[in-house]
Amino acid sequence: MSDPALETHAITKRYGDVLAVDNLDMRVDRGQVYGFLGPNGAGKTTTLRMLLGLAKATSGRATVLGAAPGSSEGLARIGALVEAPGFYPFLSGRDNLRVLAKQSRAPAKRIAVVLDEVGLTDRAKDRFGSYSQGMKQRLGVAAALLKDPDLLILDEPTNGLDPQGLVEMRSFIRELGRGHRTVLLSSHLMTEVEQICDRVGVISKGRLVREGTVDELRGERGLWVRAEPHDEAVRIISAMSGVERVATVGGTLRVTTDMAAAPAINAALVSAGIAVSELRPEQASLEEVFLNLTRKDEEASR
Amino acid sequence: MRNLAAELLVLRKRTSSWVLLGVWVLLSLLFSHVLPYITYSGGGGGEFQTPLSALLPAGLAANLLGGFPFFGGVFALMLGVLTVGSDYGWDTLKTLLTQRSGRFQVLGAKLAALGVGLVPFVLVIFIGGAVASLLIASAENAAVEWPSAWELIRALGAAWLILASWAAFGVMLAVLSRGTALAIGLGILYTLVIEGLLSALATQVSWLEALVQYSIRANAYSLVSTLGVGSEALSGNGPGAFSGPFVDGGQAILVLGAYVVGFLGLSAVVFRSRDIA
Repeated sequence: MSDPALETHAITKRYGDVLAVDNLDMRVDRGQVYGFLGPNGAGKTTTLRMLLGLAKATSGRATVLGAAPGSSEGLARIGALVEAPGFYPFLSGRDNLRVLAKQSRAPAKRIAVVLDEVGLTDRAKDRFGSYSQGMKQRLGVAAALLKDPDLLILDEPTNGLDPQGLVEMRSFIRELGRGHRTVLLSSHLMTEVEQICDRVGVISKGRLVREGTVDELRGERGLWVRAEPHDEAVRIISAMSGVERVATVGGTLRVTTDMAAAPAINAALVSAGIAVSELRPEQASLEEVFLNLTRKDEEASR
Repeated sequence: MRNLAAELLVLRKRTSSWVLLGVWVLLSLLFSHVLPYITYSGGGGGEFQTPLSALLPAGLAANLLGGFPFFGGVFALMLGVLTVGSDYGWDTLKTLLTQRSGRFQVLGAKLAALGVGLVPFVLVIFIGGAVASLLIASAENAAVEWPSAWELIRALGAAWLILASWAAFGVMLAVLSRGTALAIGLGILYTLVIEGLLSALATQVSWLEALVQYSIRANAYSLVSTLGVGSEALSGNGPGAFSGPFVDGGQAILVLGAYVVGFLGLSAVVFRSRDIA
């Protein structure tokens, strides 16, 4: 097993009667891009705040880059953007980064590098207060990159971005994920997570309800078969053992069965002289999986 | 030191720091030199007429110090609140606390920057007052004699300590209320109303007098009175009027110092223990 960049053991956060995070066990390996999914109020941001030392866990423990959350040793190698970016509105983008470079002891030359990386060099002299939401978000990412961190924690980095900004940020995050660093990405955007993340954790009501690779989460729940003549194909497949259901959706057969049955179905159809033009596994989208998991959790808690 | 440099950059580039300094300097000079000289030169006499000697360079320290315990205190309180409280409102605290430094270091740098930031709030008043007194001396053909260096150093130190105690009070209110609006409201209410009422009632209620002897206002006024500010000048000081009880200078320094340490210590404990929302 590889070295974890961060690990939590039964970490719990309670605000009075409200249980925000409930015995959360989570592990992100070094070099991994980990997607952290969950509906609003599920406990994502609270978890990230605990990992950064901004909030103290009520119980449980966590290590981030081998150090306690919020310790100087750990923070020196972490870049973070948590919720809306927080900067001084009267300072320029560059001056805000100067302040952070001094606080984090990052070399001053990194300021120009990260401004360039997020495409803010031309507006670096302008006051942060005059920035659009997208520019504020990009400055937040620039600040997170200032220390050239080993671990990047990004909480909803695409919030408030217009479609163009969204595309740019998505490709930017994808680039970040290709490097050596570990990325913990909390996002509502399933396409983003599906495309970028190696591993995904779904949190609901403070609990981790599912964790795995994107493919593991999407799972395989049947087959799509396009074959002619259609009625004959339905008759043959329906008669096969292990097939639970055959439905026609837009001229294609949706077969509910184990994926292992695919070769047998193909062979049966071909030997019966039926032309098979398509046979592929049916996978749920990450969005469907997410909605399904959180709905189930919602129903279970009622 | 890098944390302090960062905080000084923020304080220096912040418009509200300059607005507070500008208004404080203007008001201070208006009430210490400009208006008293106008009443003096009008020759109307009356109880509010300031003697010319107080407006000349020799009376510089005593003339200026009278404005620090109350008017200067309000400005220092606001500066203290803004230095720490604004970071809650702008959400910059979470950004600062996820850099590298621990909470004590981050707060310590802010407090050190605030301490440095109070220096111009003292120096500029004294420089402005010196220029004003020189102009008055020149207009009145009066001799120009400056206070001794030791007298000036003591006055500058006392002025800074008084401002520091009010600024520390502002910091504590900002940390406790996690913002600026409530902190400034409560701070000004306390400064204008509560301490004023307590010291007014102290002459009638004996146990209250013992309590008031440990208030910021009583100790600040006592400190400046030991440096030559006459009690008659303080009792006619508008909303900041003070007529006692006075304590000796040593106690005043100790009590004000204890306020600085106490307010900042409590702020540090709360700042360290609370979650950043």
